[in-house]
Amino acid sequence: MLVHATLDFPGWGDPNAPAHLHVAPEYLEQAYEKTATPNVVTAVLADYRSYDTMFETAVVFSAGLACFFLLRVQSRKKEEEEEEDRYFRHLATDMVIRIRTPSMHVPDSPYLQQLDPYWTPRSLIVRAACRVLTPFIQLFALYVVAHGHHSPGGGFQGGVILGASLILVALSHDLRTSMKMTPEKLMGVLSPAGVLIYAGVGALCVAAGHNFLDYGALAEWLGTAPEAARSLGILFVEVGVAVCVMATMIIIYANLSSAGGHKQGL
Amino acid sequence: MNQYPAFLIIAPLLAACLIASAAWLRRSLCFPIAVLGLGTSFLSSLGVAARVLTDGHFQYRMGGWAPPLGIALEVDYLNAPVLVAVSGAALVSLIATRQIIEREQGPKAPVFYTLMLLAVTGMLGMTATGDAFNLYVLLEISSITGYALTASGDRLAPLASLRYLLLGTIGASFYLLGVGLLYMMTGTLNMADLSHLLPALYGSDAIFAAFLLILCGIWLKAALFPLHAWLPGAYSHASHASACLLAPLMTKVMIYVMLRVMFTVFTPAYVFEQISLEGFVVTLASVAVVAGSLMALAQRNLRRMAVYIVVAEVGYMVGGAWLGNQTAWTGAILHLLNDVLMTLCLFLAIAALAGRMETTDFKNLKGLFSTMPFSMGALVLGAMSIIGVPPACGFFSKWFLLKGAIEAGRFDFLAALLFSSLINVVLFFRLFECALYSGDDHHGPGEHGHIEIHEAPLSLVASLWAAAAGILAVGFYSGSIVNNFIKPALM
Repeated sequence: MLVHATLDFPGWGDPNAPAHLHVAPEYLEQAYEKTATPNVVTAVLADYRSYDTMFETAVVFSAGLACFFLLRVQSRKKEEEEEEDRYFRHLATDMVIRIRTPSMHVPDSPYLQQLDPYWTPRSLIVRAACRVLTPFIQLFALYVVAHGHHSPGGGFQGGVILGASLILVALSHDLRTSMKMTPEKLMGVLSPAGVLIYAGVGALCVAAGHNFLDYGALAEWLGTAPEAARSLGILFVEVGVAVCVMATMIIIYANLSSAGGHKQGL
Repeated sequence: MNQYPAFLIIAPLLAACLIASAAWLRRSLCFPIAVLGLGTSFLSSLGVAARVLTDGHFQYRMGGWAPPLGIALEVDYLNAPVLVAVSGAALVSLIATRQIIEREQGPKAPVFYTLMLLAVTGMLGMTATGDAFNLYVLLEISSITGYALTASGDRLAPLASLRYLLLGTIGASFYLLGVGLLYMMTGTLNMADLSHLLPALYGSDAIFAAFLLILCGIWLKAALFPLHAWLPGAYSHASHASACLLAPLMTKVMIYVMLRVMFTVFTPAYVFEQISLEGFVVTLASVAVVAGSLMALAQRNLRRMAVYIVVAEVGYMVGGAWLGNQTAWTGAILHLLNDVLMTLCLFLAIAALAGRMETTDFKNLKGLFSTMPFSMGALVLGAMSIIGVPPACGFFSKWFLLKGAIEAGRFDFLAALLFSSLINVVLFFRLFECALYSGDDHHGPGEHGHIEIHEAPLSLVASLWAAAAGILAVGFYSGSIVNNFIKPALM
């Protein structure tokens, strides 16, 4: 039946197809004038249909939350640590010490590094390469977020790149190291905060007497023309999207790769 | 105030984000924030309904963009009462299930609140939106959170939730595919705009395919027999807190979406004149009603019985919507509102009973009228409404449905409705028989001088009675609901 229905479709690449004739021309003609945003896709995504995008961000947030809710194991953490042998590496000599007595306390020391129970030796090359790459990836991510107005990019893409750079750390080092850089608590706060930034910008517009997400309302506070305010509004919400996507990626990775234990990654 | 429609949807979203942050900083704030969010939402829905009563249909433009360029919320006589019902039921079930959530979830309770609020956001958004794609996005939110909520429960809950996830995703994809076809053929996603552009294309096969895809997607999410396979497991294994929120709301919101698609996107002129599916769909609905009732009869557990009653009720509403006359439509819409209350009352009562026993098998229910008189009293009211005894609200909607079936000459649907009502009588009186007699053979009659009343927590019983009182109130005022909302909606 679906195949039969395809007979009624407009021609492939037909410039006169209804999809290109109804709202699309208006977007193309007016988007720059009204939102001061050269990238029409961004204007449609984050201004005309901004309400949709806010909920897309909320979908990402709920996915991370669902993952945390279903997988994270919190209560058994202490017991497990007591049951298992602990491994420490003496950094100067590269010697590995195994501690079997659960009660024995090992002080935090700059010379000792705790290892995962199923620790495998890591490649120095991979680690060094990733350490060099990570800052550049992050810089690029920020560029993608900030430059969404002018070139392909925006909050979702930038957030994913940012999250991926941190996951790279987890892959090349280990989950423990990366969880030290991105503590669970911080990510847990940042993920809803991203949605909060988005919805908060919308709520500010309401406070300024306009409709929800009508960024033109911010013109007075920002001291710019309404069009420029729309452009800035898009940037604000894109930052919110990026924060949410980055934090959610890390939450999902940490929970999925360690089955909720946050001890042993991939 | 003009901003009510925005508050209605944004308040629970903001509250959800705040709770998720507060969970890491100050846990004691989480529940008050949740109540505040849903309370604001409920009050806004009342404001919206009041405005609809005075002004009729109105639009709220998101971002100030006029549709079809931007997205607008459209509130009219059809969805205003649904919004009130959904936000009210969500608030009641949040307050009712607090103890259950705190006990079952422990440190993860704030996450559970967040998921609940996001699910409600999605449902309210689906009800209020005037954009076919926006509806899909919100469907995603309420689905994803719904999967997570149903996955917490007894040992089988994750499995049931996985099945729900697979089937639900298929349903949502069908809907999306249908909307995609509509966009390709018309170039717009706005519902009102679609209804203007579609009449020129009514003969097209692609439009027909789009209609069928959307319908199948909705029916899967609404659990219309035989697409109901996910529902019994998902709602009977899930935590009582999730079941109390999702069972009354999710299927009902999907029925509303079906009505919206039939009445606004495609007009009755297309649905009933251009294509003639109504014969088939009403037969399907009759089968759903009968099958749901029979499966409920086969259960030996109160909770599983309630789940199959939900399946049968979906058949009522789908049948009413497709009978194709004003009376039946009135019945379907009224039944949608009533069913929110009835199912809420039923599931809250079950949660109250389950808090005091291991399982809700019938054999455990003995003597409950004496030990839990308040919960059982509310359950009786809910049962009366489901059976269709006046003055409970279920009677009135069933009456309209029966009259509609006679008007349409569909005596098979009529027979199915009457059959299901009789089965409901058997179901509940069997239950009450169990609960009335103590079954304790060691005591003779008159020997149990002091029976200890061992009720569920106060917040749960109070909310349960709020739902039961709602059943009576909607029953008494069903005339004015029909005259003020449903009749203008069908004009």
